[in-house]
Amino acid sequence: MIELKNIFKWVNQGANKTFLLRDINLTINEGELISIMGPSGSGKSTLLNVIGMLDGFDEGEYSFMGNSVKGLKEKQRSQLYKEHIGFVFQAYHLIDELTVFENIETPLLYQDMKSSERKALVADVLDRFNIVGKKDLFPTQLSGGQQQLVGIARALIGKPKLLLADEPTGNLNSKQGEEIMELFKKLNKEDGVTIIQVTHSEKNAEYGSRIINLLDGRIEK
Amino acid sequence: MFKNYFKTAFRTLLRNKTYGIINIAGLSIGIAACLLLFMVIRYELSYDKFQPNYSNIYNIVTKDTYSDGVDYTPGVPYPALNAFRQDLPELKTGAIYCNYGCQVTITKNSTDTKFLEEMGVFFADPEFFEIFKCKWLIGSEKLLNVPNTISLTKKTAEKYFGEWKTAIGKYIKMDNLLTLQVSGILEDVPANTDFPIRMVGSFKTLQDNPVYGYSTEWGHTTSNFQVYTLLPNNITKKNIENQLRLLAKKYYKNQNGEERINELRALSDMHFDVAIGNLGTHTISRTSLTTLSFIGFLIILMACINFINLSTAQAVGRSKEVGVRKVLGGRRMQLFWQMLGETKIIVLIAASFALIIAQFATPYIKHVISIQEELSIFTLESMLFFILIIITVTLLAGIYPSLILSGFKPVIALKNKINSTTIGGISLRRGLVVVQFAISQILIIGTIVSVSQMNFIKTADLGFNKEATLLLYGSTDSVVLSKQNAFKESLLQIPGVKLVSYNSDAPSSDNNWGSNFAFDHKPDEKFSVFLKAVDENYYNTFGLEFIAGETYTKADSAKKVVINETLLNKLNIKNAHEALGKPIRTGGQKWKTICGVVKDFKTNSLRDEIKPIILFPNKMHYNKTAVKLHSANILQTQKAIQQQWEKFFPENVYAGFFMDELIEDFYQQETQMALLYKLFAGLAIFISCLGLYGLISFMAVQKTKEVGIRKVLGASVSSIVYLFSKEFTLLIGIAFLIAAPLAWYFMNEWLQSFVFRVNIGIGVFIVAILTSMCVAFIAVGYKAIRAAIANPVKSLRTE
Repeated sequence: MIELKNIFKWVNQGANKTFLLRDINLTINEGELISIMGPSGSGKSTLLNVIGMLDGFDEGEYSFMGNSVKGLKEKQRSQLYKEHIGFVFQAYHLIDELTVFENIETPLLYQDMKSSERKALVADVLDRFNIVGKKDLFPTQLSGGQQQLVGIARALIGKPKLLLADEPTGNLNSKQGEEIMELFKKLNKEDGVTIIQVTHSEKNAEYGSRIINLLDGRIEK
Repeated sequence: MFKNYFKTAFRTLLRNKTYGIINIAGLSIGIAACLLLFMVIRYELSYDKFQPNYSNIYNIVTKDTYSDGVDYTPGVPYPALNAFRQDLPELKTGAIYCNYGCQVTITKNSTDTKFLEEMGVFFADPEFFEIFKCKWLIGSEKLLNVPNTISLTKKTAEKYFGEWKTAIGKYIKMDNLLTLQVSGILEDVPANTDFPIRMVGSFKTLQDNPVYGYSTEWGHTTSNFQVYTLLPNNITKKNIENQLRLLAKKYYKNQNGEERINELRALSDMHFDVAIGNLGTHTISRTSLTTLSFIGFLIILMACINFINLSTAQAVGRSKEVGVRKVLGGRRMQLFWQMLGETKIIVLIAASFALIIAQFATPYIKHVISIQEELSIFTLESMLFFILIIITVTLLAGIYPSLILSGFKPVIALKNKINSTTIGGISLRRGLVVVQFAISQILIIGTIVSVSQMNFIKTADLGFNKEATLLLYGSTDSVVLSKQNAFKESLLQIPGVKLVSYNSDAPSSDNNWGSNFAFDHKPDEKFSVFLKAVDENYYNTFGLEFIAGETYTKADSAKKVVINETLLNKLNIKNAHEALGKPIRTGGQKWKTICGVVKDFKTNSLRDEIKPIILFPNKMHYNKTAVKLHSANILQTQKAIQQQWEKFFPENVYAGFFMDELIEDFYQQETQMALLYKLFAGLAIFISCLGLYGLISFMAVQKTKEVGIRKVLGASVSSIVYLFSKEFTLLIGIAFLIAAPLAWYFMNEWLQSFVFRVNIGIGVFIVAILTSMCVAFIAVGYKAIRAAIANPVKSLRTE
């Protein structure tokens, strides 16, 4: 599904290049649940952003579902991640001005879906995540765990093949974190969603089928 | 999708109440001001446009060229009318005589009802109404050939006789002189005309009654008698003016250095011709209209600048939303339209408030510029303009912030790495602030200068004493004249009355009674003098000072005259005493002796120069009575005077006005313009204050972290306030450097239209910059102190 070959990414600081990613080679198949680990500044989030096409890279080859990402235009790239990728963030990133229902609905708006279809899909997801009662609340009225639940629901509404989660449990207590991880596991098993998560927690990393350790932008073997 | 956008917009608005209120307040005031100005300007531009021949109608004016200048009058000599008709047969030419006001007496069941008409009394010939279209409800313009008849407008007829149809055949008495039969009824003329006809007497009546000054002499010109002509489409103005030049050679005795010709003045210029004037209530210069439109533009510009500044300020707060929406699949264009849509919502809200504000302000504006007509903002034109403003403002205010916001890179936005530097455009915002400060300083300077000029005029030394002086308007028919002595005696019996003087004219007035004249048995001088007929008490009553000689006595009547300093100077006489005893005559009449020279007083408004004047006694012209009162119990004295008037002159309506009120009326237009400038400049300044406050708030957000760090490091409140004010002081300084010369230039130009004017002192500029500083510091102070005393723990916490 994802194939990264000799990926380099750097920023210029004066005359020096500071490498964010060095020679990343990674193949991820459909249906995997992968955990990326590493200390702060090791390039975990950068790698995730590159995979999610939110960020570019300077050297190497990246093919996503058979498409070479490098040659794609901004529009085509966004079309690609719009269709196939869902994002979950540590800080949830819900839109404060919208209710739970509207937040979950938003991706569908950008896919020009009909109102009745949208309603049905959102209702379905709310049901599955057991948050029907919360649908008219605003994000600030929810606990962190609930907010992240909404965040995941929103990421999944477009039925993506790949879910990218950047420290999804980072702002949650351990019990809430556990629930989220159980949910990931379930999604991976039952719905076949490929999940890549960045985490600090050994325990949460264990949920993954594979753990990738990063240090200074390099994958540790 | 739009529902989602609207929701976001409304909720964002509710969340950021301060920004919302500043934006909506600024925009709604701005839009309302523009709408009102549009209404006023539109109205002024509409004068006489309803005339079907509007663009082909011309006024034949008289141009006199003297050795020392050019003088225009809108009138022509009476016999010129027939000359035009004979020599220019291809044109339709009509005449109108404006009598301004008159007294009308209606006798019903042998009781008299008197009406004082202050304006709208005209005489005209039938051709005039073939050029100017007017609907005749009864009769037609042919009636204007019938002697001793008058036609009334519907409203006037209703005022005099109740039902307009019953007015036909009834009689009205004008000025106790003429008895005229009502023979026609005209539809009321619209308010936006410079021919505010209320009644129009037949031309034949004017010709038959010498009281109105009709004369077959070529030498006599009055601005009251005006000739209008209708140019066919195939004849150009230039063509006719060439023919008029030939005509002048034939009829006027033009001598060397002095020349009289006729020129054409388009009807479409008459309402804006401040110099020559028109027969209506007022003129307004095109410059004033341009200035007003410009102020309107500045106001809306300021409101847009506010919006741009505040939106980019808010952008930091909204970056996360943009990031999320992009990650969820929103494209840049979609986000751009969303942001622009939000601008539109705010503009629409502001616009609805603007309509309400404008609706409530309309009566006030009407009062300020004294428009009587029903004015409404809800006309098709205003509404189109309104929609145009909404679209323009939305684009002007919305495009830049929307581009900025929709352009955020999602990764950066989501990591909260967006701050004011990544948004960019700091220099743009600074530039906008400078523009705003500069505009408000120009407006402050402009307002101060124009207001002080107005005050200067109002309080200027006119060279005579206008305090507690009552001017009674009367007439000069034989009945009145015969009673004048007795009336004067009875007035002097009233305890509050000091002095009484009969005269034709107050020292300062619009009146320009001019004549050719000769001095010291020489031929006629190359310039005209102006005349005032005044009795021997005039000088005491108005406190005029003699620099040589003294006034004539009652016995000297018709032999002696008094002249003013200006005439002396124009005659090149160095010592005033030399002039005493010298002979002088006007219009080829008998020679008279100069018995005194008065110190110059302002003969007209302060817009004009002081004119050479001859003051002479002549009972026949004494239509005004000046009464000097003791300053105590003025009201009581005035009442007593009125009683005497009604006792002596029962056939004349009492019309007494205080001199200072009359002088004030003189400058009504300036006062109105000053008020308009003050009002709208004030609004513009207010809007810029709002914007400034918003911008400082933006700075406070931007500097939150910096302030937090500084406080942790031990900075004091005052040093933080300084941190905030430093940059604004610089910006105000730059703005001042731009504003001061511009303002000086514009106001200096404007002042040139006054002969007597104030100097633009350095003080004005100091006031302008201090005002800007004060406004800035009040706004900065509040926000800065709040930022300074905030708990650094809060401002430094991330996530």
